[in-house]
Amino acid sequence: MSEKVEVKPVAEFEDGDREILTVNGKSIGVIQYDGNFYALSNTCLHDCGPVCTGRVHEKMDGEYTGTGKPLDWSHNEDEIVISCPWHGWTYDLETGEHLATDDIQLPTYEVEIEDGDVYIIVE
Amino acid sequence: MSSEHRTNNSSVDSDYTVVDVDAHYLESFENIAEYMDEPWRTRLKESGWGEIGAKQNASSYFPTSTGDRQAYGRIDREHSSYPDEPAEPDEIKASMESIGIDIQLQISHLLLPANAVRSDDQRVTQFMEGYVKYVREHILDPDEGIYGLVPVPFHDVEASLDLLKETEDDEGFIGACMIAAGARPALGNRKYDRIYELGEELDYPFVFHTGGAGLDSYDGFQSFIETHALGFLASNQAQLTSLVMEGIPEKFPELDIIFMESGVTYVPALMTRLDEEYLKRPEENPLLEKLPSDYLKEVYYGTQPLEKSANPEYLETCFNMIGADQIMYASDYPHWDYDRPTTVTDLPFLTEDDKQKILGGNALEVFDL
Ligand code: FES
Repeated sequence: MSEKVEVKPVAEFEDGDREILTVNGKSIGVIQYDGNFYALSNTCLHDCGPVCTGRVHEKMDGEYTGTGKPLDWSHNEDEIVISCPWHGWTYDLETGEHLATDDIQLPTYEVEIEDGDVYIIVE
Repeated sequence: MSSEHRTNNSSVDSDYTVVDVDAHYLESFENIAEYMDEPWRTRLKESGWGEIGAKQNASSYFPTSTGDRQAYGRIDREHSSYPDEPAEPDEIKASMESIGIDIQLQISHLLLPANAVRSDDQRVTQFMEGYVKYVREHILDPDEGIYGLVPVPFHDVEASLDLLKETEDDEGFIGACMIAAGARPALGNRKYDRIYELGEELDYPFVFHTGGAGLDSYDGFQSFIETHALGFLASNQAQLTSLVMEGIPEKFPELDIIFMESGVTYVPALMTRLDEEYLKRPEENPLLEKLPSDYLKEVYYGTQPLEKSANPEYLETCFNMIGADQIMYASDYPHWDYDRPTTVTDLPFLTEDDKQKILGGNALEVFDL
């Protein structure tokens, strides 16, 4: 059975804002970044830290450009990630996948916008 | 420890093919000097190091590292003049037969502390070039199962490329050796990319051999056991960390990497530590496509000095974490803490198949023998 839970009006989210709610005992973070909404478990898979209160940022990337060359470093605007403030575990904001391994997957939730309000769907 | 009914002459069953991936022919300074150009020849011959160097260098009363490897005259080798005299070429076959080794890879003995050199680095390059000529002419003998590794003067990339290329057609040289202890910068640095690229091209497995020129010189430690036990291992962990985290296996996926001489238990320790940190800082090493431990499971490890006295269950877990396909028997003969193949055959938890692989099968495949 899935449950549709109202978060708050879209208009009340400033860019980068987040709202932490507790649904059926689970802490969930709803994050607005660059006009998009994301919802993830707020319980870090490392040691239960409040991951959704952590910094949201473009992934730092370095590309190998050839033998003996230094890496070409950049921020990847196509990959937005969130880092847990306790020890730095970092997850893809959209998929919840840990950057280091796809064996670690932070639960994510579907977000719906209806009549100017943000909702999340919780199983 | 299992040793029932064995005599000290016992060797392993003849149905194993035993490949020893780390032995040290005791070349002398005199031997190599003959193959060096002037003025290096004279500089070396007149440098006062004597014939073997072991007394002054690896093993002297006033040592360059903390202490006497021979434990004050207690260590003796039946089939080697170690440490007093340089070796004679026929010692190699005699020692191989006595231990039960079919194929052996020779790594320079005198070069092991080479990275202690912090100036005039041409000394090292010149010595390595002379060493290659000397062992080519006098030591390597593929018909007798005696092969060699080309020492890489990696402080000078151009010289490294030249020396590696120069051995390309030698049947006796089947890989390269990086004397890893004390390497600065660490060996995952992009400075060495071209060396690894050429290694891949030449199909040369790269053996990373630790030694007493790196962390072995920690200040304040008093006994040899402290610096040797810690220094060799810390150096291997440092160089492995650099290679893996800087993405050498991603840049050069065909390059076989083999690490020598710190036993096996340090590997799981490094796997778990690197994974733990990488999970917390995954963006600092962007070339990694998987966990550091997954790369460490693709590296090969020489067994010596195997931690035979460890709890067998713990040792078994270590072997399982590394994988029997990645472990190669190494004797380190004639050095003070050498291992015989029985260190492997005695392990209660290995299957026959595992023993075949570790004693020789893995090396035969990797070195394409
Ligand atoms: S609890 Fe999140 S990184 Fe440790």
